[in-house]
Amino acid sequence: MTDEILAVTHLEKSFGDHQVLKDINLQIRRGEVVTIIGSSGSGKSTLLRCINLLEQPTQGEITFHGENILAPKFDITTYRAKVGMVFQSFNLFNNLNVLQNCMVGQTTVLNRTPEAAREMALAQLEKVGMTPYVNAKPSQLSGGQKQRIGIARAVSMSPEVLLFDEPTSALDPEMVDDVLDSMRALAHTGLTMVLVTHEMAFARDISDHVVFMDQGVIAEEGSAEEIFTRPQKPRTQTFLKRYLQR
Amino acid sequence: MKHLRQGLIILGLILVGWLALPANASQAASNSDTFKVGMEAGYPPFNWTQTDASNGAVQIDGSSAYAGGYDVQMAKKVAHALGKKLVVVKTSWDGLAPALTSGKIDAIIAGMSPTAKRRKTIDFSDTYYASQLVIVVRKDSKYAQATKLSDFSGAKLTGQLNTYHYTALSQIKGAIKEPAMKDFPAMRVALESGTIDGYISEKPEGISVTGANPNMTMVEFKGAQGFKTKPEDTDLAIGLRKNDPDKLKINAALAQISQKERNQLMTAAVAQQPQAKSQGNWVVSLLKQYGGMLASGTGITLLISLVGTIVGFVIGLLVGIVRTIPRGGSAWRRGLLRFVDWLLSVYIEVFRGTPMIVQAAVVYYGAAQAFGWNMNRLAAALVIVSVNTGAYLAEIMRGGIIAVDSGQFEAAHALGMTHLQTMNKIILPQAIRNSLPAVTNEFVINIKDTSVLSVISVSELFFQGSTIAGQNFQFFHTYLIISAIYLILTFTITRILRWIERKMDGPQNYNLMANQNQVSNPKTSLTN
Ligand SMILES: Nc1ncnc2c1ncn2[C@@H]1O[C@H](COP(=O)(O)OP(=O)(O)OP(=O)(O)O)[C@@H](O)[C@H]1O
Ligand SMILES: [Mg+2]
Repeated sequence: MTDEILAVTHLEKSFGDHQVLKDINLQIRRGEVVTIIGSSGSGKSTLLRCINLLEQPTQGEITFHGENILAPKFDITTYRAKVGMVFQSFNLFNNLNVLQNCMVGQTTVLNRTPEAAREMALAQLEKVGMTPYVNAKPSQLSGGQKQRIGIARAVSMSPEVLLFDEPTSALDPEMVDDVLDSMRALAHTGLTMVLVTHEMAFARDISDHVVFMDQGVIAEEGSAEEIFTRPQKPRTQTFLKRYLQR
Repeated sequence: MKHLRQGLIILGLILVGWLALPANASQAASNSDTFKVGMEAGYPPFNWTQTDASNGAVQIDGSSAYAGGYDVQMAKKVAHALGKKLVVVKTSWDGLAPALTSGKIDAIIAGMSPTAKRRKTIDFSDTYYASQLVIVVRKDSKYAQATKLSDFSGAKLTGQLNTYHYTALSQIKGAIKEPAMKDFPAMRVALESGTIDGYISEKPEGISVTGANPNMTMVEFKGAQGFKTKPEDTDLAIGLRKNDPDKLKINAALAQISQKERNQLMTAAVAQQPQAKSQGNWVVSLLKQYGGMLASGTGITLLISLVGTIVGFVIGLLVGIVRTIPRGGSAWRRGLLRFVDWLLSVYIEVFRGTPMIVQAAVVYYGAAQAFGWNMNRLAAALVIVSVNTGAYLAEIMRGGIIAVDSGQFEAAHALGMTHLQTMNKIILPQAIRNSLPAVTNEFVINIKDTSVLSVISVSELFFQGSTIAGQNFQFFHTYLIISAIYLILTFTITRILRWIERKMDGPQNYNLMANQNQVSNPKTSLTN
């Protein structure tokens, strides 16, 4: 328990009358890759968005290093700088070029000098193979390139945890591998990652812990081995069967 | 239209008047050592604008031009009798009464008749000139030979707005009553272009036109053949604030001027009024004679529209930012935000929903009448155009902010940026870029719409143009030159802003960088 970074306990989230998350409990430990799978509408995105407070949970508790992030006095901006997010639709800043996209958070939030920010940004862009495009604007790039920049932007903030919400779902199949390779490389550096994905083979390969969500609850969880080869619950089995048949 | 506008201005003034304590007007400027006289300086031979001090002309307040004419000579005599220094304030016809009651001027000497309607708001001195109604027509028209009113049956006629000239039109049976016009230059243009067959005028103005423009003539009527008029109409008197303590002294001064002297002064005025110099190329001669006035008019128009657009842009930006602040937080904060939002939407609705000409009159004359604020004319113009532009651009900026996809807000928040940082670094640069075409549009509109500021006598381009046309009677030529200047201004400004848009967009293509060393680095670029 000492190396636990994030803990979610009895989390509930409703949009009006519609309860989307019910009694979610989840621990994320340092260096762990946690993958959340489940069918569409099961609440995976909502859970991730609650974790970095893009959504306000209705009930329950989320702690970061034991500190309740829902407490009124909690410093949300510093917390968010430590918990990065990569979006399904990239969400790059259209007014900034590639390099500036990776620098702006560092200089405004972390108060890094422009030189230090640039150095960090270039190092991360190098890792995702985007160095040649530093001068390009987001509108001039392909989806796969945009997502690799989305990753470089998040990693440039030196986060403790990185959240991925279906990072490859909006990509053409031939671009998916580039992005997955970048993520795999990140996982090997020991970065803590929480990943929502429909790429089952990748999830199986990379995950330390897999969470299966169904209709707003965690239906089953375990190691990648346990979930993918010996799923216990019928719901998990039907869900995985559909993916394996493809 | 003109009636509506006039009505709106008066309505606005009444509203402002209600807000303030009554009867603080007559104290205004009268105890100073200057005698401020308002006139159009565009109604020869009573008053006109000229470029030098010849024939006893007096410099116009806040301008390099001079006012001359019968009214100016009268004003000099009255000021002399009062022992005060004469200041001529060039004021549009519609603006004269508000300027007087609000204390911007001390007297109206502008060929104005003391009608019963006017007497309700202002007072008048004794008569300083007695006139007679005539009809000005084209020399080549069939009406040139008319001798009695009934000869004008079927003629398209008009008169100046808010004058008894126009009401006298109903005495002509069968005449087609065209809408009233703003001033004499406008009616002369209409007559020359053939949109009307004639306009009602007074004899001295008729003498002037026929003397200056060989295509026009004036029809006079003998005794019962002509208009039935009341002395209060044909007589011209000096407009004064009610209870003006100087009224007796002014009447005494007027009594000193005999009928013979008045006739002499009028004859001299008709002879002295500026004539068009029509030798050589008309463009060259117009520019030579009036280049200075045109340049200063262009300068003022540019200044007002430029400052108005920039300040309006800043106002619009701020209002747009405030109105897009997320509605979360405590109940108290939400309530405050809702109240501020309500205030701002009232501001936007009021300024978008009323004509700028009305706003100008209300702000300039209303503020003086209600609170005794004596604003500088140019400052008032700048404020009005800025606030007006701000109201338009606020909605455009709000739209520009909303148009940036919410994903970019979320990405910025997810990086740990505050709302302010997100706006500054990410959203506003895009919102501003997206709103630039609309800003260009506002700028162009402002360049043209500053012309309505003539109601508060700001000597912008259109005001100067009307003044010039009123002097030289070369309406088409003058307005053609004015149009060309407007076109050059708007065209140039559109191009400049287009160029700025392209600058903001950055290069169309990007260079591929083979390795990190090629990326320009602030540290190395200093030493290299
Ligand atoms: N802002 C919102 N307002 C109302 N309902 C919402 C909102 N966001 C999500 N929901 C609902 O919450 C439920 C869970 O949505 P969520 O996006 O978390 O699903 P998901 O598991 O990420 O699905 P997918 O795999 O399609 O991305 C859905 O029924 C969705 O309609
Ligand atoms: Mg989702």
